[in-house]
Amino acid sequence: MMDALSYLFASWLQPELLALTAVGTAAGIYIGAIPGLSVTMAVSILISFTFGWEVNHALALMNGIFMGGVYGGSRTAILLNIPGAPAAIATALDGYPMARKGEAGNAIGLSTVMSFFGGFVGIIVLAAGAPVVSEFAILFQPRDYMLLAVMGILLVGSLSGESLAKGIFAGALGMLLGTVGLDPMTAEQRFTFGSVELMNGISAVALMIGLFGVSEALLQLHNLHLAAVKQKVDKIIPSFSDLKKYLPLSLQTSAIGVIIGALPGTGGDIAALMAYDHAKRVTKDPEVPFGQGAKEGLVAPESANNAAVGGAYIPMLTLGIPGDAVTAVIIGALFIHGLNPGPLLLIEKPDMFWFTVGNLTLANIFLLIFGLTGIRIFTKIIECPKGVLFPLILLLSVVGAYSINNSLSDVWWMLGFGVLGYFMKLYGYQVGPVVLGIILSRLMDDNWRRAIISEQESLPAFFYGMITSPLSAVLFLAIVLILLSQTPVWKAIKMHASPRLGRG
Amino acid sequence: METHTNRRPGEIAFNAALFGFSLFMFWQAYQISGFSALSSAGAFPMAMSAIMLIASAVVLFRSLRLASPGGGWSGFRSEVLPPAVLVFSLFILAYSITLKSLGFLLASFLFLLASIWYLERGPIGRTLLLAIASITGVYVIFRLVFQVVLPEGIIPERAILAALGDFFAGSK
Amino acid sequence: MLGKLMGAVAALALFVGSASAADYPEQDIQGIIQWGAGGSTDLVMRSVAPHAEKVLGRSIVMINKTGGVGAIATQFVASQPSDGYTLLMSAENPQLYKVMGLSNLDYADFYPVNVLARGVPVLVANNDAPFNTIKELVEYVQANPGKVKMGSTGPGGLPSVVGGMLSTQLDFKVTAVPFDGDGPALTAMQGGAVDFMPAVLGAAAEHVKAGRIKILGVFDLEASPVLPDAKPIVADYPEFKKLLPWGPFFGVFVKRDTPDEIKAKLVEAFKTGAEAPEFQKLLDDRGYVSLNISGDEADAFLKKWQSTTAWVVYDAGIAKKSPEEFGIAKP
Repeated sequence: MMDALSYLFASWLQPELLALTAVGTAAGIYIGAIPGLSVTMAVSILISFTFGWEVNHALALMNGIFMGGVYGGSRTAILLNIPGAPAAIATALDGYPMARKGEAGNAIGLSTVMSFFGGFVGIIVLAAGAPVVSEFAILFQPRDYMLLAVMGILLVGSLSGESLAKGIFAGALGMLLGTVGLDPMTAEQRFTFGSVELMNGISAVALMIGLFGVSEALLQLHNLHLAAVKQKVDKIIPSFSDLKKYLPLSLQTSAIGVIIGALPGTGGDIAALMAYDHAKRVTKDPEVPFGQGAKEGLVAPESANNAAVGGAYIPMLTLGIPGDAVTAVIIGALFIHGLNPGPLLLIEKPDMFWFTVGNLTLANIFLLIFGLTGIRIFTKIIECPKGVLFPLILLLSVVGAYSINNSLSDVWWMLGFGVLGYFMKLYGYQVGPVVLGIILSRLMDDNWRRAIISEQESLPAFFYGMITSPLSAVLFLAIVLILLSQTPVWKAIKMHASPRLGRG
Repeated sequence: METHTNRRPGEIAFNAALFGFSLFMFWQAYQISGFSALSSAGAFPMAMSAIMLIASAVVLFRSLRLASPGGGWSGFRSEVLPPAVLVFSLFILAYSITLKSLGFLLASFLFLLASIWYLERGPIGRTLLLAIASITGVYVIFRLVFQVVLPEGIIPERAILAALGDFFAGSK
Repeated sequence: MLGKLMGAVAALALFVGSASAADYPEQDIQGIIQWGAGGSTDLVMRSVAPHAEKVLGRSIVMINKTGGVGAIATQFVASQPSDGYTLLMSAENPQLYKVMGLSNLDYADFYPVNVLARGVPVLVANNDAPFNTIKELVEYVQANPGKVKMGSTGPGGLPSVVGGMLSTQLDFKVTAVPFDGDGPALTAMQGGAVDFMPAVLGAAAEHVKAGRIKILGVFDLEASPVLPDAKPIVADYPEFKKLLPWGPFFGVFVKRDTPDEIKAKLVEAFKTGAEAPEFQKLLDDRGYVSLNISGDEADAFLKKWQSTTAWVVYDAGIAKKSPEEFGIAKP
């Protein structure tokens, strides 16, 4: 036990490790904030860079980058409407409207504290229940992953804006775009029209930069000489009463984040979107409607995506199974450093586990410190004249899209989606469902096919399995309940049952 | 949520284009593997494009019933494609086309110079400074720190970097 | 004026580009990895490159360029100048591009700087599966054709080739459920989504040692020192002798028409790099068989691999085109 404690605080007490964690977290925030630079990329570059280091030093840097990077995506999402990473998509939905009202400082402050809080929940679950959670995560079958995707897709209902038909169209379009390329299951080409570049598929990040960032920049050129909104910077650290008010929601969405993060097939992006949907369902009277700057819309995804970090480490440290793309690279790094990450790691080297828990906690504290300092300077970005800001956004978008896979074709996609997004927004379509669709597409398509192949193409067997497996049955029931709660039938029943509680 | 009762200029054309696109994609999805199996590569794309087809048909039908926007061509120009948007888009297009041949450094420099000057019309010195500063920032972060090899074009960057490296290595 | 300036710049660029091969390398080298960050190809390349860099005296900037089962990276390297500044860091996949209809390139277009290592396939199963050896598996599958679920990674991947070998040599009918890679498939197998799967030894070894899955046998001529108790398949089915040894491999390549001096320097650098004890330990730990071969020896290896595998996938009905079309001889 004493040993565990000493490993837990190893990175707190050794100045070098402390400094590396701090540097990693600070760098992570910027890596996360810049679209096109991803944590996965940074960590894999670090593998060669830290080749000759001691393993704990390398890990401290990587942990910091991971923690900071997941949070950093919210910065650009709030300020420029360009999510720095897919995990920050949901953050842009309400964060950017807040910035346009001059509340960017407040939004960043709140998202920082909530990220810290979510991160902390993730770490606690990692420390206290890693073996249990990972055994649970492994139980998820292709059918269950498919049901999770269906649950995520229900979010289209709340992202659609003025017209459900337009929202459904946008969601299906995203799903379809996600299937472009060489099908990994059969090696058949889908919508590639014979082009090798298209075999790689359409990058979700390029699509996201185009649909969110570029289209917004173009749209705002309509009123170019409207003065930029003055940002209020007096209320950056969220008030105690706000924190108290959002604590229950943050706890619930952190729980979603840990579980989704721990599942080997899903990560922070899906966690954040599902958390947003959850927030929208449980929040009865938001002060500001969702999509126009509701604070609940910030709290939920930011708690969830940072909680997913701790979640992602759970199967990695207990079973050697990566919880997401970043932990997959970290596993690689451990191999290069001569360790054998696998189910035996926890037994043979428990120090690794406790070191990571302690180090992540440290990185989370640095996240809070770095996150809350310098907000004033950041909010200045959107106060700078649009004529300067938009060309710079475009430059960053082009470089960002290029760096995803070192290819110009991603730049063309990004621009194409910028133009499409421009027209979509102009004609009352929301772009959110498209991004949701492309993120969930593979999860849905692949797992549906795996599930139906496993049942030898028999639909009755598929549904029989859905009802008889406890996990699938619970997920299926949840979907039915969510669907019902969004239909008039439900409202009628509720009105009937308790007329005093029924509203509008 | 605002709901508009009047059509925007070009709305029908856009909705019709989406409908046409859905139709084309449905046909393309059918081409992948037809109705061969539930687990075939084409099953999911076909389902999605069918949903797109139905949804876009509904949207198109509804937009046909909205009142006409009026304003004609000038309305389209002011509401949908104002000059600033058009010119800026052309700059972006030119930038992306020249990115490969001119290389990242030169193309970005020209793009920033042209577009900031066009949109802001500020003093040329400040524009120049802004362009150089931001390109340097981006180059250091992406090319040097993250080793993203940006298009080199006509400036032999790698050779220059190698020469610089040798110079500093030699002076040690 | 501008024209002259452009001309001068172009001339400079040309001059720099065509500097003599004797001075190679005078600038950083790009290594294009055809698989994503964290995959086994990425891992092997990132651990051998630092050793090779020491010999070359320049850094190797490694870039992941994924997609199309690696065809995009292969195409990219083929489109670059043959000056030795762009390396292809890849796995076995290009040898099947032609029969899979993915690309017209294969390793005939590239020169093997070093084929670093070969993986050993094993057959592993869920702990609750009603078979404990390859023989029991085969008998069980023959008694229940199509009922047993095999984890796979898509056509052309290791499980599909091993599955193909089993089905062409024995009466072996299973339902293959494809996953995104052997990692996800092994995870799914622990959850019971599939009953057994062929996997590369390195990916499965730790899970077997921890008792989370069981090993049925090694798909090789001999048992492996990593898991010495597992019997090789040839012990019960000698007909596999003609197909083995077989396994996925990793290698570093340059375009075939690169100047010989440059090839020699690269071969030297990667040979030294592959001999580094740290790298050898990594290979041992992951259960890879070190090859460290280049030039003609590597070409012969590649050719034999292609002929065996292309015909297996063709006979198993996985390939789109016949190897005959491309002049790939029958083994």
